[in-house]
Amino acid sequence: MKAFGELTKGIIKENPIFVMALGLCPTLAVSTSVNNAIGMGAAATFVLIGSNIVISLIKNFIPSKVRIPAYIVIIASFVTVVDMVMEAYAASLHKSLGLFIPLIVVNCIILGRAEAFASKNSVGSSILDGIGMGIGFSLALIVIATIREIIGTGKFYGMQILPCSYQPAICAILPPGAFFTIGILMALFNKWVAKKS
Amino acid sequence: MNDVVKMGLVLLIITLIASCVLAVIYQKTAPIIAKNKQLEEEKARKSVLPEADHFQEITEQKIIGQDTVHTILYYKGLDKHNRLVGYTFRCEKYGYSSNVQTMVGIDTLFNIIAIKVISQQETPGLGANCATSEFAEKFQHKTPENIMVDKDGGDIESITGATITTRAVTNSIKEKFIDIKERLIEK
Amino acid sequence: MEIAKLFSIIIASIFINNFVLAKFLGLCPYIGVSKKLDSAIGMGMAVIFVMTMASTITWLVYNYLLNPSTSIFGLDLTFLRTIAFILTIATLVQFVEMVIQKTAPALYKALGIFLPLITTNCAVLGVSILNINEGYNFLETIINGFSAGVGFTLVLILMAGIRERLELADIPESLKGLPISFIVAGCMALAFLGFSGLKI
Repeated sequence: MKAFGELTKGIIKENPIFVMALGLCPTLAVSTSVNNAIGMGAAATFVLIGSNIVISLIKNFIPSKVRIPAYIVIIASFVTVVDMVMEAYAASLHKSLGLFIPLIVVNCIILGRAEAFASKNSVGSSILDGIGMGIGFSLALIVIATIREIIGTGKFYGMQILPCSYQPAICAILPPGAFFTIGILMALFNKWVAKKS
Repeated sequence: MNDVVKMGLVLLIITLIASCVLAVIYQKTAPIIAKNKQLEEEKARKSVLPEADHFQEITEQKIIGQDTVHTILYYKGLDKHNRLVGYTFRCEKYGYSSNVQTMVGIDTLFNIIAIKVISQQETPGLGANCATSEFAEKFQHKTPENIMVDKDGGDIESITGATITTRAVTNSIKEKFIDIKERLIEK
Repeated sequence: MEIAKLFSIIIASIFINNFVLAKFLGLCPYIGVSKKLDSAIGMGMAVIFVMTMASTITWLVYNYLLNPSTSIFGLDLTFLRTIAFILTIATLVQFVEMVIQKTAPALYKALGIFLPLITTNCAVLGVSILNINEGYNFLETIINGFSAGVGFTLVLILMAGIRERLELADIPESLKGLPISFIVAGCMALAFLGFSGLKI
């Protein structure tokens, strides 16, 4: 039961984007299409799980004064691995995510989980925490991307789903659309939470 | 003092291990990345000059200071019997929000066979439409003299809401095309 | 020609490709530190300073240590770019903090609490990587770092001005706090989109 809790808390109760408002930059920047959102979600989840494992393994060897630089080096290494592997095997995805792959390093979610969770817990629960947070992040990304892609292009995952007569509201995939979408989603999320309690 | 040494040592070890791991992965992936890029270029060249079977690189040597710099000018497209069927070249210009790169295929009489936008990060839904085949078709059978955007008095119809992108593609092709035509006629 | 290019870099990174509103970099401090005008100004100044310094130093690191064709080692170490840059920025921020604390206590009082936050500001790492990707030379890099910081500060201060007034506005319960801030940011992004047709 406890393990299940570690896994699911990241998805709704402590959702990194809607509840904690962490890691906003990549969320808004790459959510122009569902394809990008899945790629980014997968990359960030991999880095989260990897850095959580390594950090919880070596947490006892790191003097607490240099822990932040040490975490950053570990996270940056995983990010570089993702960057290189993605460029080699998924070149077009790598191109459309562009700058935001190296910027996973400064994604507050990852350093935040390293500091708040992996540095205090066992490897097993750190892995679960990483998976849960990764899924929460990816899901939020996919939700935002779905809304923006459908309104902005009339497509979902690259397939036309609205009738061709629909005039796409291009604004939704431009920067302002990202801000509006996340603002409205957060308001709905707040309302839903308020109603539940 | 002892503490400082220990902290430095721990950081150093972590960084060293990380660098070694990355170096190994870099060596594994770098050739794949380079090969992918090459394949992609080759594919783009084939798509704008489908008659060609293989391509031959034509470079220009320039002496800048003490270094000799080789720049690729264009590719000769040759068919299976090594007969010349046309040329391909690559051109680029800054559009609305990104550098737009286009691959162009021309026949031996200097008419455009096809073009393909190979790299762009323009506005989705507007400028990004320059990568569609409908836009590329507008350039078919054009000669360097009559490539011009409609707003500048030519007959390349601009993409709705993206005149700047259209102009970038059109002008980049025109400039390079004229340059290459002159070089080829000189020969 | 040179001056014209520098000028176009300045206008482009302040208005057209504004870091926050067009590139989505530095959103966390943009949302987090824009509640009060005073702190927005302090954060803005600290960011301009660190961004200019970081652009300069990471450019030197990349070109003299990592890039195989220009480095003093002649080795291809470009794969270490992300690690090298983030460590450089973290060290730089620490160093700047210490220097300011010793030499200018008044300035430290004003900027001090914002400096540690800047290490994880993706705008700083973002501008460093962009300088390399765009192939800027040394002078262009410094100018780009500085004007990107100015662009960030501009929208941060505008946002803080709006949010101070929002506190007093009558808005629905569930929109209070972050959601309304994002919607305001959306309106600002819409306004800044007007700059993007600008031809220099």
